[in-house]
Amino acid sequence: MPNYTKKDILENPANTRGLYGYSGRIARIDLTTGEISTLDTYRYVPEYVGGRMIVNRIFWDEVGPGVGAFDEANKFIYMNGPTTGTGIPAGGRSAAGAVGAAVDPEQFTWGNIGGWFATELKYAGYDGFIIQGRAERPVHIRIEDDDIQILPADDLWGLRVHDAQRALEEKYGREFKSMVIGPAGEKLVRLATVTSANDCVFGKGGFGAVWGSKKLKAITVHGTGVVVPADIDKLLYLRLHMNNPSMRPSPVLHLEKFGVPGAEFDVKYDRGNVACSPGCNQRCNALMMNGPTADGGSANHIEKCVSTSTYNWQTDLPATVGQFWPTEKNYCAPCKLLGRDFPEPDFSDPDFEAQAKPIRPDVYNLWKPDYERGTVINDICNDYGIDKWEIDVWLLTWLAMCAKEGLLEGSDLGTGRTPDVEDLEFLKTFLLNLVERRGYYGDLFAEGMARAIRKLGYEKFSESIYHGRYSAELDGQRLDIPVSLHGGWGQSVHWQGRGYEGSVEKPTWLAANINRMLSTRDANTVEHFHSKFEYHEEAMADPYHSPHLIEAIINVQNNAEIKDSVMSCEWQSPHPWWPEMEAEMFTAATGYAMTPEELTRAAERSKLLFRAILIRNHGRTRRREIEEIWRVVSIPDSWNETADWQQFNEMVDLVYEARGWDPATGWPYRETYEAHGLADVADRMESLGLLPERPKPGPRDYGEPPRVLFVENCRKERQARAGLSNE
Amino acid sequence: MTKVARDGYTFYGKQKGVGTVPEESRGSAAGQEFSCGDHIVQYSPEYSFCTGCVSCTIVCGLSHEGVTGRSNSRIQVDLDARSMVHTVLACQQCADRPCYEACPKKDSAMCVDPETGVVYVDEENCIGCGKCMRACRFTPSRISMKRDRDRKKWKAVKCDLCRGNPDGPQCIRWCPVQCLGLSSGSVLLPDGVRPEGR
Repeated sequence: MPNYTKKDILENPANTRGLYGYSGRIARIDLTTGEISTLDTYRYVPEYVGGRMIVNRIFWDEVGPGVGAFDEANKFIYMNGPTTGTGIPAGGRSAAGAVGAAVDPEQFTWGNIGGWFATELKYAGYDGFIIQGRAERPVHIRIEDDDIQILPADDLWGLRVHDAQRALEEKYGREFKSMVIGPAGEKLVRLATVTSANDCVFGKGGFGAVWGSKKLKAITVHGTGVVVPADIDKLLYLRLHMNNPSMRPSPVLHLEKFGVPGAEFDVKYDRGNVACSPGCNQRCNALMMNGPTADGGSANHIEKCVSTSTYNWQTDLPATVGQFWPTEKNYCAPCKLLGRDFPEPDFSDPDFEAQAKPIRPDVYNLWKPDYERGTVINDICNDYGIDKWEIDVWLLTWLAMCAKEGLLEGSDLGTGRTPDVEDLEFLKTFLLNLVERRGYYGDLFAEGMARAIRKLGYEKFSESIYHGRYSAELDGQRLDIPVSLHGGWGQSVHWQGRGYEGSVEKPTWLAANINRMLSTRDANTVEHFHSKFEYHEEAMADPYHSPHLIEAIINVQNNAEIKDSVMSCEWQSPHPWWPEMEAEMFTAATGYAMTPEELTRAAERSKLLFRAILIRNHGRTRRREIEEIWRVVSIPDSWNETADWQQFNEMVDLVYEARGWDPATGWPYRETYEAHGLADVADRMESLGLLPERPKPGPRDYGEPPRVLFVENCRKERQARAGLSNE
Repeated sequence: MTKVARDGYTFYGKQKGVGTVPEESRGSAAGQEFSCGDHIVQYSPEYSFCTGCVSCTIVCGLSHEGVTGRSNSRIQVDLDARSMVHTVLACQQCADRPCYEACPKKDSAMCVDPETGVVYVDEENCIGCGKCMRACRFTPSRISMKRDRDRKKWKAVKCDLCRGNPDGPQCIRWCPVQCLGLSSGSVLLPDGVRPEGR
C-alpha cells in the first residue's frame, strides 16, 4: 500500500534509519514471466542516495558481461530520487540506466528525464523499478498504487508519442502520468527516445529502442499516496534561494525575432516559459506555441539549445568565457540563461570584461533561417520519438556538408528528391523513412549515424573535409572539419571545441572531451564544464597540466552523479558558490545529516561502479577510450589548434591518478574500491584479472597516436595544394 | 498591470461573483450559472503563464499536512502533457455551498467561517463519507479525500483560502510566476482588449 501518512514511512520496518523522502520500494517487473515483486529502497540508502547511484549498483549486481542492448537479459533500471515530489526545486527529475542501443559500441549507459511521471510513481509508493525480460507481444504496464499490471498494448502499438499519451489518458484518466515510446522505438531505431511529458525524453541512450526490444510501449502510473519531506522550513528556504527564482509574472510573449544574438531572424511567434517537472522554482524551457507540424497541423514545442540550431545554422552558437569560468559577482545559473531570465550584470566586478568576453563562433553556412522547417523537424523528433541531437547536430549537418562537398551526387537517399537540407519535403521523407525503417536508407540510418556512416564508407562519409568552415576568431580563416560531427561513443559533438557549440577555449574543450571519453555517451547533459574565473589564467597557461582544471573535471563528473541521484538538474546545479546546496537538498528531503564530503564520496563510489561495469562488461581500457576521443581532439578548434599527443596523455594520467586508477590500464586499484566501500567489487575484479598492479615510477611511453583518417586527408590535401602551387 | 482572471467569471466587489460551470467540467452542472465568493484564480497567460510546476499543489499539501500528494492538496492543476498549457482547478467558494449543504455533520465537520463565508473542514469531526465531494458541482471535484491505510480515517480536504494563515493562501505566495491570485484582485476585460503593457 502507498504511504498515506508520515507514520507509514517512519514505521516501515525496513526504514531502520528513519529516513524521510523515500517511498521505500523498488518494483521489479519481469516481462518474460509476468512476475512482479518489490525490493526495499532502504537496503541502498542513504549510502547510494537515489537515482543513478542506485541504478549503477543494481546494474553491477544483476547484469553481467555479454549482454547487448536488445537482449532479453538487458535491464532498464529507473529511479527517482529522495527530493522527487518533495517540492525541492528540480527534484521532479529521474534517472535510468541500461545497455544503450544508441551507444557505439553498445555499452551500459545512463540518462535523466523530466515530466510528472517520477513524482506520480512516488505517490504510488515506488522509488523506481527494474524492467527485465521481454514480452512476447506488445504490452504496457499500468501502475496504480499497489496494483501493477502488464497489459496488452495492441491498441497502442503503432501510435505516435502524443497519440499514445492521449490514448492512455482517455483509457485511464488524466491523473495517470505516462512514459511512452513512439514508432521509432517499436522499430528498434537506435536513436529512439522514451518520452514523458513536456517534450522531456530519455534522449541519448537509445532507451526507446531498448523498450521496443522488450515489446514495451508504455508505462502509466497513478498514485494516491504522499511524499513526506523531513524539513519543510529548509525546503521552503531552498525554494526561495536556489538560483534566486524571479517570483514574478512570466507572460506569454508575442515575438517577432527568433534566434540567438547575432543570428536572429524575422518570424512572428508566441513564446511562454515552462518548468520541466514538479516542484521546480525556475521556468527554463521555452514553449514555442502553435508551430507547424509534419502533418500540416500545429503544436506547441519545447525549444532547448539544440532546437535553436535546427532553425538556422549559418554560424555556430556563441559562448562567453564566463559561461564556463564565472566570477562570483556575475554567476548566472544556466536555467536563467535558457529561460531568458538574466540578472543584471554587475559591472563592479573587476573581472567583468574578461569574463563576459564573447567567443565568436565559427561560420558554417549549413542552412538558412527557416522557422517552419525547424519546427517540423522538431515535431517529427518529438512525435515519432527520436533524439533531436543526433538529427540536428549530426544527421542534418552531415547531409548539408556532404551535399556541399558533392559526396551525395547521384543518390536520392531513398527520397525521390535531391538531398538538400533546406528542402523540407526531402527532410520529411528522409526522416519518416528513418523512423519507420522504410527502404534501404531508412533502415540504414535507423541504425544511427555512426553505424550508418561505417556501412556507407567511413573514409569518404566521415573523414572527408568540409571546406565551408570559417573561424571568426581568426578573422575568417578557413578551417578544416570532417563532414561527420561524431563526438565519441556514437553520439554527436557537444561543446567539444569543434562543430556544434564548438567555439570554446582549449581548457574547456579538453575537459569536455575527457568527460566524454570517460563516459559512454554525450556526457554534456549533466557534465557541462564549470570552473571559476580565478583559475582561468592558470588553465589557459598550461591546459594539460593545470591542477585546478583536473580538479574541475573531477568535480564536474562527481556533480553529475549527485545531480542524477539527489535529483537535481544541469540547469540548477551545481552552484559554484553554494557547494553545500545538494547536501542541503538531501538533508531537507530525508532528514539524514548529509555533508558535502559524504555526498562527494557517494558520487565517487557511483563513478567507480560505473567504471567497473565498463571494465567488466565492455572491456574498457585506457587505450580504447583514448582511441575513441583522439579523432575529435585532432580536428582544429576555432584557433586552428589541436591536442598534443604527449601532453594529452599526461593530462589523462593526471585525471586517472586523481581518481585512483592505474595510468597504464585505466583500471581502479583495489585500494580505490575498498576506500569507497566496494571491497566486493574489488574481489570480483580480481577474480576476473581486472585489478591493476601499481606501475613502476618513471617516464611513460604513450606509443603512437591512433590513426585519424581526417588528419591524413587534410595532410594529403595540403600536400596536393603545395604541389600544385610548386608546379 | 491589470490581472485578468482566466476562468471566465465576472467579479463584482471584493467577495462576490457570478460564474458559469465550465463545459470541461463534464459534470451535470456544466453550463449552470452560480454565484461564487472570493477564490483562487489563474490569471490570463497574457499576465503570467502557468509553468506546470505544480508548486501550488505541493505547497498546499506541505502547509496543511506536511506532506505532498494529490489527495492532500486543496488545489489541483489539470496538466496537459502535450500542449503544456495547464489549467488550475480551485474551489470557487460557491455562494450556495452545495458541499456544506450535503455534509451530514454540518457545522461540525463542514463549517462556514462567520467572517469570510469560506467553507472549511474541521477534520476532527469529518467522518470521510465523501458526500461533500460528490456534491461539488465541478468535475473533477474540488474537494479531495485525504487517505489513510485505515479507511475509517479518511478526511475531506477543501480549499479554505489558508484560513488563519497570516500570509494568506500559500499557493499564491509560492507560485514562482505569480500566475495565481484571488478573484477579488483580478479584472475581466472585454473581448479583444489585452492587458496593459501589451
